[in-house]
Amino acid sequence: MKRLLGVALGILTAIGGFVDIGDLVTNAVVGSRFGLSMVWVVGVGVVGICLFANMSGRVAAASGRATFEVIRERLGARAGLANLSASFLINLMTVTAEIGGVALALQLASSVNYLLWIPVAAVAVWLVIWRVRFSIMENVTGLLGLTLVVFAVALFLLKPDWGSLAGQLAPAVPEHETFWTYSYYAIALFGAAMTPYEVFFFSSGAVEEGWSVKDLVQSRVNVLVGFPLGGLLSVAIAGCAAVVLLPSGIAVTSLSQVILPVAEGAGKLGLAFVLVGVVAATFGAALETTLSSGYTLAQYFGWSWGKFRRPAEAARFHLAMIVCLLVGLAVLATGVDPVLVTEYSVVFSAIALPLTYLPVLIVANDPQYMGEHVNGRAVNVLGMVYLVIILVASLAAIPLMIVTGAGS
Amino acid sequence: MTSSGDSLVPAPRLAGRTLDAQLHLMDRQVLDHDGVPVTTVDDLELSGPALEAEIRPGTPAPVLTALLTGPVLGTRIFGGRPPSSRLIRIPWEDVAEVDVVLKLGVSGERLDAGWVERWIRDKIIARIPGGRHDPR
Repeated sequence: MKRLLGVALGILTAIGGFVDIGDLVTNAVVGSRFGLSMVWVVGVGVVGICLFANMSGRVAAASGRATFEVIRERLGARAGLANLSASFLINLMTVTAEIGGVALALQLASSVNYLLWIPVAAVAVWLVIWRVRFSIMENVTGLLGLTLVVFAVALFLLKPDWGSLAGQLAPAVPEHETFWTYSYYAIALFGAAMTPYEVFFFSSGAVEEGWSVKDLVQSRVNVLVGFPLGGLLSVAIAGCAAVVLLPSGIAVTSLSQVILPVAEGAGKLGLAFVLVGVVAATFGAALETTLSSGYTLAQYFGWSWGKFRRPAEAARFHLAMIVCLLVGLAVLATGVDPVLVTEYSVVFSAIALPLTYLPVLIVANDPQYMGEHVNGRAVNVLGMVYLVIILVASLAAIPLMIVTGAGS
Repeated sequence: MTSSGDSLVPAPRLAGRTLDAQLHLMDRQVLDHDGVPVTTVDDLELSGPALEAEIRPGTPAPVLTALLTGPVLGTRIFGGRPPSSRLIRIPWEDVAEVDVVLKLGVSGERLDAGWVERWIRDKIIARIPGGRHDPR
């Protein structure tokens, strides 16, 4: 019974934890401009993140080594440092976007300007990282994030014409968009679903919680059930935007437009739920990305790390995270639009994908690390297929960004 | 490299495990005897004749003397070599086990390699309220 509860809790937090500011914004933008014609990209992204999250979790459980230790060891100091620089900067951009997202959501809930909420959000993130136990942190934000299910509820309450909505599911470029903007947003959506920090966080979290090979079955269930359901949540966000915003020709540029369809479909109560959900999802992701920036640095340089240690026993790790939060604060204090930061962060995430996923795939095949738990053939075939997809997306992202003027 | 035509005698067979410095030592995590991370192996120090000195026949083969960390990581990536006094060494005698990680037989608390960690701990992190609070 206790085991069953553990599995249920794990699945629920995986669903609630799947959506972050990148998923919220990108799905709403895509829904408002392309309808449901990119649902297939979410599908491809979800299968990919399941595959690689599982793989990095297995590496961490079998060898006790988290992703960035493995990256340094495999790529060497020089290529490892190049990888660290890129991954770390993109992660820092995501930290900034998530904290901005928390502040924007609090602004919508309170009518107090988001710039005033930013320091509050950053201090709250730091306090949780400083004091709260890892499992409590994960479960509370994950469960509260579940209130985003209200997007799916709102979609039903909006009573859309299901036939025409289903008709949008086929991958096709809408008349008023070009093939290039379509491809650009497809890559952004793919990057939002597969953000590398999820792998850093997932593998380091496995070490934090002291997983052994015995826990792998449960983690596999969490990922394989939780992430696809989280993907459905993403689709519901796009669906809401496609039903309400697409016909009126509103392209999403702010967080208030992301949640507008919920207010229309589910009223004030729905609005309350969605605000709780957005705050929880972005706050949870702010914790995960801030921790990930500490994890990547500490694992590259071999510092002591982890929330399971006292802060004084992982001093450089904690100092690095404090500095990251301060940098994020400084960037947001310039008044840069957090939604814009988010839109860029998901595209840059897509560019950086091969840096994370290739070393994970290599080590998951290394018997010295994995013993008998090396990848099976089917996983490797799928992994290679994804490596090709990831490489194509990564190489195409910058040219497409230039050609489309970042999707405008 | 010998300039004469005679080929080198093949290396004698050694008992025990053969370690490839690049594959099994470099860039691996180092843990102390309590399993606390100390550093990553940034470089290795070998004994033996100085660089570019002539090697006479009968000179003993170089042996691994220490794991290096500190500024040597920067020079390994960007080129050059820090003076010997700036190298932070973990003597090879302290290494107890070589596996996916290198385990030391000593505590990391007394090692030079941990001074930055200790400085940041004592001067910054431990002074923030709750810095010594056990999260579990």
